[in-house]
Order: sequence, then structure tokens, then C-alpha cells
Amino acid sequence: MADTELGTHEWWESYKETVNGDPEMEVRGHDKFSENFYVEIGDERVLLEMDGGEVENLVPNPTMNHQWSFGVEGDRETWEEFVQETPPAFNHEIIASHYRTAVRNEDGHLQLTGDNKRIFQHLRAFQRTLDLMRVAHNDGGS
Amino acid sequence: MPENYQSGDVEPISGSYVHTEVEGVDHRIYFEENGPEDGVPLLCQHTAGNNCQEWRHLLTDEAITEEFRVIAHDLPYHGKSVPPTSQKWWTEDYTMTAEKFTETLVNLADALELEDPIYMGSSMGGNIALELADWYPERFRALIGLECGAHSPGFYIDWLDHPEVNTTEVNAYSCWGLMAPQSPEQTRRETMYLYEQGATGVFKGDLYYYSVDHDYRDKLDQVNADECPLYIANGEYDYLTTPEDGRQTAEGIGDGATAIEFAEIGHFPMSEHPELFNAYITEVLADVTGDRDEELPDVLEPDDVGIELHQQGPAREKPAE
Repeated sequence: MADTELGTHEWWESYKETVNGDPEMEVRGHDKFSENFYVEIGDERVLLEMDGGEVENLVPNPTMNHQWSFGVEGDRETWEEFVQETPPAFNHEIIASHYRTAVRNEDGHLQLTGDNKRIFQHLRAFQRTLDLMRVAHNDGGS
Repeated sequence: MPENYQSGDVEPISGSYVHTEVEGVDHRIYFEENGPEDGVPLLCQHTAGNNCQEWRHLLTDEAITEEFRVIAHDLPYHGKSVPPTSQKWWTEDYTMTAEKFTETLVNLADALELEDPIYMGSSMGGNIALELADWYPERFRALIGLECGAHSPGFYIDWLDHPEVNTTEVNAYSCWGLMAPQSPEQTRRETMYLYEQGATGVFKGDLYYYSVDHDYRDKLDQVNADECPLYIANGEYDYLTTPEDGRQTAEGIGDGATAIEFAEIGHFPMSEHPELFNAYITEVLADVTGDRDEELPDVLEPDDVGIELHQQGPAREKPAE
């Protein structure tokens, strides 16, 4: 997977396999993590339609006909850091990254958008889903 | 670090309860200890919403407990320190303040008759080192503030105590990213497991002190580090109180304050990567006791203390096509 560029169709399909085969998601998705969220890498937005802790559909460039609860935004360089096998400090996890953006007003980190209540209701499953981007990107890992 | 226990091995940690007053109310406080009775007392404070189990690997480090009497306690309302029996504590929110926190620590040291103890705490336990140095510098031999800063805003979050949120999970996993990803997964997961044991509202109540009440940005000149040495040791991956925050805090205090960066580790050093932390803190403790000849470096790296970082993992294979 490391040979596949982040955010390509092939990359997203492999990522979907990783999420849907993850044993922790089976446990902590609780069969209830069905909140759709988007990932925005630079100018490219992909909607992840979740169903019971699995990625049901990947929707590039979602429109007003689609529905989501929250999202994560960042420039490509920040996402490239996030998916490294050993990412640098502060871009190694979503809350870490968002904190440096939202509280410390720093550039170069990821930012959460949308319904905070839904984010915290599903934090662990959502967080695991994002962390699995690192697993997918590096052909394994924890 | 004796991690290879076998069936029948009994760890040398003992647990006890001690009574002490806080704000005029009797509290039954649980603590664990290991080390010689006449060893240098090392009083260890857990992080917000957690308990003394965070220190279990320091408590069983033979090299450290040979010289130090390591004591780790549960603050009231945390772990085995149940709420006071004389109070209707369920009729009000639990809220930690700097005054209550310092009084608890000093009264605990008095109740245990600790002579010239070293204090060490992480996160909220690190920040309180500034208040202890300001208000009680005569009571301690030295103060070690892990993940310490003059101000740590933004973590007093309503969702951490909300009836429509699974706070057991959220209180833990809002902290997941405070650890370095290269710390061993088993100990990172255990740290979160400990967080999942906290009582409702206690983590958020602690964070009132951590993110609201504690603000020393304009008061650093009040800190008496020249009377009681203060060490500020912050992990590279701590996004709340960064190593740079630690350096600025130490510079603001001046004489007696030493900032040091712990590389490749995060906000829960003693529990997220015990092997690396114990090696790092050995260097700091040697400085406290005068057993170290050289000044502490600005940054301690794993190589400096002879620790080889674990590989990522265990590697998990992607599911078959």
C-alpha cells in the first residue's frame, strides 16, 4: 500500500478493506457506528458512509443529496504526516491534531468539523477508523 | 524492569489506607509503596481521572526502589480512595482546585510522616508542582513536574461528563493521542484501560483544575524553585504541555528550575512506556540526590539511557483479499 498514493481510488478501496476487516472495529464499532463522515485531503473530499462499524460506501465529492455528521479537514502535507508509520508529534492522532488547531491556533494540523456531540458519542470507533488509515497506508501495523 | 513474572510470583508492592483531613473533612486515602523504609521518599501523583496504578512499573523497578521509598496514592474519589463518608458528596459536582489539591498532597505527606520527600506527578500532577513550589517550598526536597506547564487550556470539555455520551470510553480515548505512537501498544492500551475505571464526573472535575484554575503565566516569578529545586520534564508527543511550554515555564521561573525534554514519549510517560520512563527518570533522580556529575541535557533520547525503542506493532496483517 505504501506504493499507492494517498487518496487515490485504489488507496481508498484498500483502506475500506482494512476497516471492514479490523477486529477492534468489530468490538468497538458496537455494530452501532453508523454516522457518516467525510475526509478532506486538500481540495478532495470523500464521504465515508458507515454502517455498523464498516465502511459501506465511499463517495467522492459528496453533494447536497448526501448526509454526514462530521468531517476531518487538512492539507495534503498534514495527511501525509498523519499516515506515516511513525507520525510526527501532534499529527499522530485526530484529537491531538485538532487541539493544536482549535486551541493553539497553529497551522499544519487536522481539524474536526460538524456535530461535536456525534463525534464524542462515537469517538473511539471514529478514532480507530482514522487510525486505520495508517495501517492501510503502511501495509499493516497496530 | 521485572516484567517476566511467573505463576506464584508476588510483586513487592504493598497497599494501605491512611486517614487525613482535606478542607476539614476526613478522607480515607489508599496508597501503594515499595522500597526501604529509610529510603528517600518519592511521592507519586497520578494524572487527572486516573489512579495509582499508573505507577505500577516504577513501584516494581528494583534499581529505583533500592534507593527510594516509592509511594503512589489515589486522590480522594479516585481508585480505591472512596468519597468521604461524612459528606453528601452526591449532591454536588466533583471539582478539583489548586488549593484543595495542594492541601491534599501536603496533608498526605504529613500523615505518612514523610521526611524531606521528593514529589513527582504527571499532567495535573505536573502542573501542581508550580503551586507546591509557590506555596509549600519548605515541605519538599525537590519537585518533579512531568508534563507541566504554566497554562494548559482547552481540556475542560462538557462531553467528558454528559448523559448522552459513553463517558467511560470518551474519558479514556480523548487521551489516546496524548501518547507517543512508538510506545508499546500493550502499555498504551493499559493506560486507557485505567482511564476507563474512573468515576463519573471525576475526570472532568480534575480538568477544572488542569485547564481553568491553573494559570501561572503571570505568576512564574512567585515560584520558589531557588528554595526547592523544580524539574519540568515534558514528553515530545505531549500536545497539551509541549517540551517548548516546559522550557518557557522554566525560563519564567529562573533559578532552580530545570526543563528537560523526554524524546519519543508522551503525556503518560510512566504508564505508556515504563521502560523508557524509568530510564529517563533515573537520570533526573540522580540529579536530585547529587549522584549525577553532569548537568542534565536539554533533551534526553532513548539512546542516552540505553533503551532501544520497540518496533511498531505487533504488525497486523491486512485482511486477505
